[in-house]
Amino acid sequence: MGRSLKKGPFVNQKLLWKIDALNETSTKRPIKTWARASMITPDFVGHTFLVHNGKDFISVYVTENMVGHRLGEFALTRIFKSHGAHTAKVSK
Amino acid sequence: MARLLGVEIPNEKRIDASLPYIYGIGRSLALKVLAETGIDPGIRTGELTDDQLAEISHVVTGKKIVVEGDLRREISIHLKRLSSINCYRGVRHRRGMPVRGQRTHTNARTRKGKRKTVGVQRSK
Repeated sequence: MGRSLKKGPFVNQKLLWKIDALNETSTKRPIKTWARASMITPDFVGHTFLVHNGKDFISVYVTENMVGHRLGEFALTRIFKSHGAHTAKVSK
Repeated sequence: MARLLGVEIPNEKRIDASLPYIYGIGRSLALKVLAETGIDPGIRTGELTDDQLAEISHVVTGKKIVVEGDLRREISIHLKRLSSINCYRGVRHRRGMPVRGQRTHTNARTRKGKRKTVGVQRSK
């Protein structure tokens, strides 16, 4: 079920503060974050985020057509090592 | 065989059954279009006059209903966008896996296609 329109999109406030701070000094530094559920707003465009995937921080450079998606969509949480390849590398 | 909206050629069925042959028009949209034109849905497609056919295509284009090639193009543009921004849904489309969080332990055969067994290749 979608989110109620009454509430508006969920954007992590801390991220917005950090972006504001970066914009004021017009610097580009990656922002480390765990806020995977945060929606990407137009303010995010052009910044790089280090999005936590449960283990590592995946670098996500936000472009214009990512707006409306959530940060977590770009940092996959599962890895699939393919089946059937029990070669020397794996079965050492 | 009547010709409607470009290439589409629905056959000699009731008109409400023929319209869904057009890609992008389903059963309920067909009935809506027919209600707008005032054509009896029970009439056979072959018995429609040219004017009535023109009326149908007029309503479809007038209501900005995207059909056939345009619709297919629109869908593929959306898929390309998802895949180009490297988001989860794009990745799932690229791999031909279910996109909306369904289970893949079993089932998901529509997306994954025919079963392919992979054996274990042991090292010697």
